[in-house]
Amino acid sequence: MNTNNNVYTVVYTTIIVVVVAAILAFVSQSLKAKQDANEKAETISQMLTSAGYGTKAELDRLGNSAKLDKYAEEIEEAFVINLNGERVSELEGITVYGPKDLKRQNYNIKGGANKTGEPEIPVFIFKNGRTVVPIYGAGLWGPIWGYISFNSDLSTIGGAYFDHESETAGLGAKIKDDPSFQAEFVGEKADFSSANVFDIVKGGSPKDGEGVSLIDNKIDAITGATMTSQGLDAAIDTWLAAYAKYFLGEKPACDKPCCGGEDKDEPCDGNCENHKEVED
Amino acid sequence: MDAKLKETILNPIFKGNPITVLVLGICSSLAVTVTLKGALVMALSVIVVCGISSLILSLLRKTIPGRVRIIVQLVVVAMMVILVDQILKSFEATYAIDKQLSVYIGLIITNCIVMGRIEAFALGNKPWPSFLDGIANGAGYGLILIIVAFFRELLGSGTLFGFDILNRFGYVPNNLVILPPFALILLGCIVWVQRSIQKDLQEK
Repeated sequence: MNTNNNVYTVVYTTIIVVVVAAILAFVSQSLKAKQDANEKAETISQMLTSAGYGTKAELDRLGNSAKLDKYAEEIEEAFVINLNGERVSELEGITVYGPKDLKRQNYNIKGGANKTGEPEIPVFIFKNGRTVVPIYGAGLWGPIWGYISFNSDLSTIGGAYFDHESETAGLGAKIKDDPSFQAEFVGEKADFSSANVFDIVKGGSPKDGEGVSLIDNKIDAITGATMTSQGLDAAIDTWLAAYAKYFLGEKPACDKPCCGGEDKDEPCDGNCENHKEVED
Repeated sequence: MDAKLKETILNPIFKGNPITVLVLGICSSLAVTVTLKGALVMALSVIVVCGISSLILSLLRKTIPGRVRIIVQLVVVAMMVILVDQILKSFEATYAIDKQLSVYIGLIITNCIVMGRIEAFALGNKPWPSFLDGIANGAGYGLILIIVAFFRELLGSGTLFGFDILNRFGYVPNNLVILPPFALILLGCIVWVQRSIQKDLQEK
């Protein structure tokens, strides 16, 4: 048989490609349920890490069902809000927002041709008082996403966990692999009143003589991963800005009497940390 | 088993090892050898991809049009790589390791060993020897991967398969060992050892 004529070549390659496509489609469909279950458990362990229920490695030692149980046990409230910070619906059962759901909402937040509806973004409140919100955006090679948790004052970051699809190992991948990068977020404060909610820049915040950082919403970027750092910065700004109305509106009222340092008549701005208790 | 078949199996393990002698697949051997578990999963994946791709292409070898043979090889190898990736993602036990290996499972397709063995061996030999050749080359690659990972995990994290070995004796993990350059140094040492045993590899 002459395997070199044109018709044979075209027919042969067509058949090969169709057969391979059919095999891959079949396998992908039949394994989808299992993969989704794994992905859900992974998302839960990322949220629990961010909310401070252990390190990622510790949580990963639990099996899938144990992760789901832990989430069910520790979640206080989970609901969906719109951009005005109003509750749209409750999240029933164990419903989490993995990268695929976040991608859709990311389009909705940003608008444009891929918008499928009004943004509906999730808020997860855990029993330890932390509020976890997701972020999503573009890294250098593919999507990056993560979960940031806020303490009960709704401005101080309690923890953060980021993940990515295909950032460069050893450089951009550090947003996920380097615990010291994620630890930088802890104790920082997001500035919800400005468009520049959070900054990831070279050098981080300027520091005073004793090494205490002077600006609360600035941290050091990753060396050698400028594009990933910028992508993460943009993702955090976009998403936290979408949550701004919720966070500003939900500020807990101070239960302590305000005495605002030197100026005792300074009005209570809702930020409890700035207020010392009145001494008797 | 006849001598030729035995040679097909044994040659890639030591004398013609794809990493240390042919110097193929270096890139991934630097990237995935930080932990023994990662290296083991990677090695098994390459063995499966290499073996089955060689088998399929050897079965098809007389029908493949010469002008598009590389494309046909690519399609088959890509299919195998995606299948392995999908299967790793589906099991609870392997999901985390698949996430850790991230792009490197997908990059098996660019591993020169797979396409190299298909082009050099599977297209000119019967299915059974081709299958064994693929498996053996994958195993030769995997062997080096596991040796490198053994030292890197032991010295870099003080553990083996995640179990504490050295740390309990007050060992301080060496961060250099975790970085890719150390894998290259280790590979160099392995090549050195092999060349001092196998004199015929030494250049005059």
